[in-house]
Amino acid sequence: MRDRTYEIPRDRHYDGAHHLWIRKNDSGSGVRLGIDSLGLESLGELAYVSLREVGTSFARGEPVGSLEAAKMTGAIAAPIGGTIVLRNDDVLADPMLVNEDPYERGWLIEIEPARWEAESAELISGGAIDPWVAAETERLRAEPLA
Amino acid sequence: MVWRLLQDDGVAAAAGLAADEALARRAGENGSPPTLRLYTYRPHAVLVGRFQDVEREVHVEAAEELGVELNRRPTGGGAILMGPDQLGVALTLHGRAGSPPPPGMVPPERARERMERFSDGLRRALASLGIEAAFRGKNDLEVDGRKIAGLGIHRDGSGGLLFHASLLIDLDVALMARVLRTPFVEITDAELDAVARRTTTVRELAGEGLSLADVRAHVARGFAASFDVALELGTLDSDERKEVAALTREKYETRDWVFQRTNVRDSTGTASIETSGGRIDVSVALAGRMIKAVNVRGDFFESEGALADLEGRLRWTPSEKAAVAKTVHRWARAHSTGTVEADPLARAVVSAAQRARGQGAPYGCFVTPGAREDRW
Repeated sequence: MRDRTYEIPRDRHYDGAHHLWIRKNDSGSGVRLGIDSLGLESLGELAYVSLREVGTSFARGEPVGSLEAAKMTGAIAAPIGGTIVLRNDDVLADPMLVNEDPYERGWLIEIEPARWEAESAELISGGAIDPWVAAETERLRAEPLA
Repeated sequence: MVWRLLQDDGVAAAAGLAADEALARRAGENGSPPTLRLYTYRPHAVLVGRFQDVEREVHVEAAEELGVELNRRPTGGGAILMGPDQLGVALTLHGRAGSPPPPGMVPPERARERMERFSDGLRRALASLGIEAAFRGKNDLEVDGRKIAGLGIHRDGSGGLLFHASLLIDLDVALMARVLRTPFVEITDAELDAVARRTTTVRELAGEGLSLADVRAHVARGFAASFDVALELGTLDSDERKEVAALTREKYETRDWVFQRTNVRDSTGTASIETSGGRIDVSVALAGRMIKAVNVRGDFFESEGALADLEGRLRWTPSEKAAVAKTVHRWARAHSTGTVEADPLARAVVSAAQRARGQGAPYGCFVTPGAREDRW
């Protein structure tokens, strides 16, 4: 586990503090939200996930759901503001899908962003991803195992 | 550095939980100082884990007849009975990556290490009472395989952290059995004995005369030493009181919060395997694909403490073959005195889990003694 390489696709934006990813849909309308593999390494297997209802509007930083992992429960804090337009029902019934396939089948919600241009600029993307991943990977390797 | 110490007794379930959540949120917003709260609930309250189904975990009618309050913690894990002899511990502090770390913590800590780090204060407190407790894989402190405290962590969206613990100073096992459901069988005298053997209490180990005040003082000193801070007795300020009152009313006193349900399906399954070391009987309760509870019995030789340790290690482990085998083999390396073998034991757990999920059992219910199945 210590020497594993974390898969971090370069085609999306990341919330570095909460290890969430956001990817614009191919259609150009809306974005998908999920948890990245670095965050899952820290959390462990997910036992439960709850997500707010479709139609719920929220500001950046507000909870859009919550989860229970092997070691903790926690709020899923929105990296951007917007409105929930779709929830992944498969993940609600089988949260370990997130651990198994965090970037495809394990997505959480689709959002219609309220201020995408302004808020996405504060996320990690493009050339900033590599140094962030290197720093986070080094941090995980350096910490002692429980 | 100085942290605040809060002490309350006879707390109502909703207000007690609302205070913990509010203080965690405010700590994340730098609106409240790091706070260690040591408190007891008014008799009695059953608190289920964040995502548990109340009706599945609790004999609701019996609880109502007995005047036992029901509520839901923000932290995960199983249902617990709280009252004057169970010390609630709530440590709230800022935990967001990049923020100044609390003393003694390497920033920014991983969730996996936080539980053991936070439980160190309790471990030190118990050591000062002559009790050698150890952190067990997921969320328990145990003494020789017997649970003495349950642990949980909640991360608020603000970045605040809540470390929750319930320390068994004493335990009314008969009352617990009346209000909490077990996933496998109706409680019998034998089951009551088994529950009693798999838990222990501060008073059982350190003396019946030990008071709540004594234990609370030891716990406060344990946390102060663990985090290298001074604790100063304080109270909630007016803003905190208002926020706690609002959260009590708008969340923890509502049926929507207490009786909420998840989409994750619960299921149970059993399996028995004959081995050269004796028959292994396993019952498994799943939440989705995760093992929520497991019960291991049979006519093999193994100590009660070792079996309790195995069951504790398997809780909240994925029920897939690789994860179960890894956990069982680690357990077997730590307990080498019994006659039960790791491979068939792991097969029995996986088989029971597969039955629970309606997949059928690939190993059959009974295996010829000594026969070798395909290796793990």
